[in-house]
Amino acid sequence: MKNTLIACCLLVSITAQAQLSQSTAALRKWYMPDHIKFQFAGNIGFMAGGPGYISRNKTLETDLLFGFVPKMIGGDALISITAKTTYSPWRIGLKNENYVVPFSTGAYLNYTFGPQFDSKWPDYYPKGYYWWATSFRPGAYIGGKIGRNTIKRNKIKNLELYYEIGTYDLLLISYVLNPKFLKPSDILSLSLGLKIGF
Amino acid sequence: MQKNSNKSFVIHIILLFLVAASFSCEGIFQFNPNQITLKESEKNLNAKNVEQIHQRTPGDTLRFIFMGDTQRWYDESSDFIKSANAQPGVDFVVHAGDISDFGLSTEFKWINKIMQKLEVPYVTVVGNHDLVANGPIVYEQMYGPMDYAFEFGNNKFIFINTNSREYQFNGLVPNLPWLQSELRDNPDNKNAIIMAHAPPFDSDFDPKLQAKFTDMLAQDPNVRFTLYGHQHTFKDGEYYNDGVHYYVTTSMGERGYLLVTSWNDGYKVERITY
Repeated sequence: MKNTLIACCLLVSITAQAQLSQSTAALRKWYMPDHIKFQFAGNIGFMAGGPGYISRNKTLETDLLFGFVPKMIGGDALISITAKTTYSPWRIGLKNENYVVPFSTGAYLNYTFGPQFDSKWPDYYPKGYYWWATSFRPGAYIGGKIGRNTIKRNKIKNLELYYEIGTYDLLLISYVLNPKFLKPSDILSLSLGLKIGF
Repeated sequence: MQKNSNKSFVIHIILLFLVAASFSCEGIFQFNPNQITLKESEKNLNAKNVEQIHQRTPGDTLRFIFMGDTQRWYDESSDFIKSANAQPGVDFVVHAGDISDFGLSTEFKWINKIMQKLEVPYVTVVGNHDLVANGPIVYEQMYGPMDYAFEFGNNKFIFINTNSREYQFNGLVPNLPWLQSELRDNPDNKNAIIMAHAPPFDSDFDPKLQAKFTDMLAQDPNVRFTLYGHQHTFKDGEYYNDGVHYYVTTSMGERGYLLVTSWNDGYKVERITY
């Protein structure tokens, strides 16, 4: 009888705990980010960081990253903001809660702040004088990542380390028009990043 | 155990970032399209190249190439080098501006890489495309002041920023007081050769300053002709009927340049296509 009671209590407590964790998941507001990322290089800052969301099937990530370049490193102090979407179709599980994402691809739109950068050219230019905006830079990349699921009860659910090789519109145009002088390596650059999933 | 391996994972990541940061000055890591990271050998090039020009012995006849508008025409600019290096007796090359298309330091570096294959030194004058985004900072760090002059043999070369539109036609570009002082500072009456990007008859040249500029040239007996780029086509003529001959060189996209030969009582400007 005593044993049955203890068993019952245990069962109830386990169920309650399960319900509790379910309800905390439900309580998490829809706008709370699913992860944060920190990225080094990749034409969106010396360092960039910010929140992001992941699709239900875990293949599509969308991030908002705030980036900066110190003057010492970039020759000019630059602050920018980037919206970025990455598609990673496959995930391969490994031993010890580790996994590999062999291929990712994505695109971004970067906006660099500063009076010397224009989104819409001022009126003293004839229409179409310069065809591109100097503040907005769209880019694209491919890459991959490795990750690890962390122990449950921890607030951090997983950690991922990613790399990306990318370029942006103006360099791509230069390359397409000058295949003899420019090599792919002239327009591609590498970035490294860390994702902390909640 | 789990906690320890998490910790080592984080340490590894931090190490990786540090390693990456340590060799990130050039190439593989780029931080912003508008960054300006120049090597020491990519700085102050006009002054360095003028010094090289001064090491040459000036002959009775001066010969230089006037080319420009390399913007986004890297393959064509590479072909230009072959054509230019085959011209005999050239003292130096002048780039008439629009070195870059988007004002990015990456583009300036690519063009400098190409121009360094010339057998003679080259100097530049600033173009309107070199003045967008962070272009002005890149230009001044890489090449130096936008208005400058130097003498070689019996000639005085004057380079002046005429891209008035980039300064909202504020009346200060081109800098006419500076030009006047450079023209006056010519006690030996050397041939004064003024070179700029936008010619005075272009709509990007401040209309309020056009007549003052052309009069200044016409009133100086040392000015016989003057050279420009920007219009992507060859042009020449005595546009203001004042004895000064205006020449415009074409772009690298049009695969052409001017070969200028000058001697004491005459000069010749030839259009070359390659």
